[in-house]
Amino acid sequence: MNRNNVFIHLALALVLILVAAFAGQLSRWRKEWKNHVRIVPAAEKKQPASAEEVALSETRSFGSPEVLVKFKSGVSNEAIDALTARFHDRVEDRIENAEGWEAIDDLDNADATSIVAQYSQLPEVEYAEPNYEINLEEANEGPLVPVLPHDPQFNDQWALANSGQRGGKQGADISATLAWATTTGTDKVVVAVLDTGVDYTHEDLVENMWVRPATMAPYHDDELGTIDDLNGFNAVDTAADPMDDNGHGTHCAGIIGAEGENNVGIAGVNWKVQIMPLKFLNAGGSGSTKDAIEAINYVINRKKAGVNVRIISASWGSTMKSRALGDVIRKAYENDILFVAAAGNSSVDNDRTPHYPSSYPNVVSVAALDRNDQLASFSNFGVKSVMIGAPGVDILSTWLDNEYEEKSGTSMATPVVSGVAALILAKHPQMSAVDLSKRLMNSTDPIIALKGKTVTGGRINAAKALGE
Amino acid sequence: MAINKDAAVENARKDLAQRLKIDAADVKESSVEDADFPDMALGAPEDDEMSGMMITRGWRIKLEAQGKTYEYRADKNQVRAYQFKGKNYRV
Repeated sequence: MNRNNVFIHLALALVLILVAAFAGQLSRWRKEWKNHVRIVPAAEKKQPASAEEVALSETRSFGSPEVLVKFKSGVSNEAIDALTARFHDRVEDRIENAEGWEAIDDLDNADATSIVAQYSQLPEVEYAEPNYEINLEEANEGPLVPVLPHDPQFNDQWALANSGQRGGKQGADISATLAWATTTGTDKVVVAVLDTGVDYTHEDLVENMWVRPATMAPYHDDELGTIDDLNGFNAVDTAADPMDDNGHGTHCAGIIGAEGENNVGIAGVNWKVQIMPLKFLNAGGSGSTKDAIEAINYVINRKKAGVNVRIISASWGSTMKSRALGDVIRKAYENDILFVAAAGNSSVDNDRTPHYPSSYPNVVSVAALDRNDQLASFSNFGVKSVMIGAPGVDILSTWLDNEYEEKSGTSMATPVVSGVAALILAKHPQMSAVDLSKRLMNSTDPIIALKGKTVTGGRINAAKALGE
Repeated sequence: MAINKDAAVENARKDLAQRLKIDAADVKESSVEDADFPDMALGAPEDDEMSGMMITRGWRIKLEAQGKTYEYRADKNQVRAYQFKGKNYRV
């Protein structure tokens, strides 16, 4: 080897060493970047659209491989960073106006469902869900940020936000948190709960109870006489007020409108609404057709007197047909009052064995689903006579004596749909009962278990219901 | 006033004795089981009776008398004769 060749070889070796060293540093830089790059300033992110601007399309799909994770209070940003790094993820955004929420991006591009499952198992995590992308028809193109209340038992309300808690199917819910990005309801809408009465003093209901306006005279009926209906109407004993002596009506009322974001108990489908208690079921939970008719007549007359009562929620029924009851429900409908009723709990086909009042014309009949999007074992169905499905198994809601209980039945599914109807009216106050009924029917997510079992074959979706 | 299981069985036994016009001592308790009924009428509504569509926890009471078995249904609020000679009755 001559002297020139030695220099050439030495120079080549030096170049190779420098290239290797630079590549190693590059790799270290890359790893470091993966672990630390994060946080797009909230100001640069698109904010959720205002109620008036949001218009959801009817499709709902997974967007980028992102998830939204709510960490429990007390979990530090450093701890969150460590957890996300462990999963080879990064915190893309700490969401303003949604305390505790982190938008997390998976660097391995795993599917959102598996990332949600991964985070849901962590003891530090309160809730995780895919970052659904909702197509907006107007100017705002960013995804809606789910709105979560701070009511302490909200995490047990799988019907509103199903994170897979207690063995449920993640996402098998009514998309309430997305709907609430548009509206959480209004006290301008009155929903009549025709039931065992309502405990109108319950701490989670008291602010959302209808009270006869001071300017309105007590109710007068030619047959019943004058009745002090300050807190609603009691058809069982017209001399008494509609205080609940069973619990069933209070449960239904809480599903529709337990006060939201009050740091107490649960949240209703509507955080703000007016519940009008009507009692026709006795302390045992039973009542007569005659009393039901009197209560519905009361609603119609109060509507004519100026009360904006637009929905009657009826979580009861029987197989006995009454022409008189059917007629008064039709009369209510003609007065722009939508009647929503339980399909029944006998596991039968209502097309063959009708259940009333749910099988009368112009009634939105509701079947019950469980937390896995299965038709509840007890629920009636009917491809011609049952309109829609809604969560109705292990539903947590208000009970007597400021308590909360989990109950099951098409009784519980019905006020979910009534509540969504009230949300629609909060956004579209002039919508007729006919259009309201159509809107509900067109606002479902297809569910395999309901295919061929209900008219729509779907579960009510509150976010879709608030679309244009 | 809420009733318990023992009181419900006793009420059912007395009711059956009255309906059959026999002595209550001749009515034997066959079985008492916890049960989920489909509605608040315990799946035993009377004619023209509407009831809440909530699954209701209670007791299925089977009594024997005169060589036949009779079913009663009860919960904390009520006792009902189920399909006694083809009809339901609130006790």
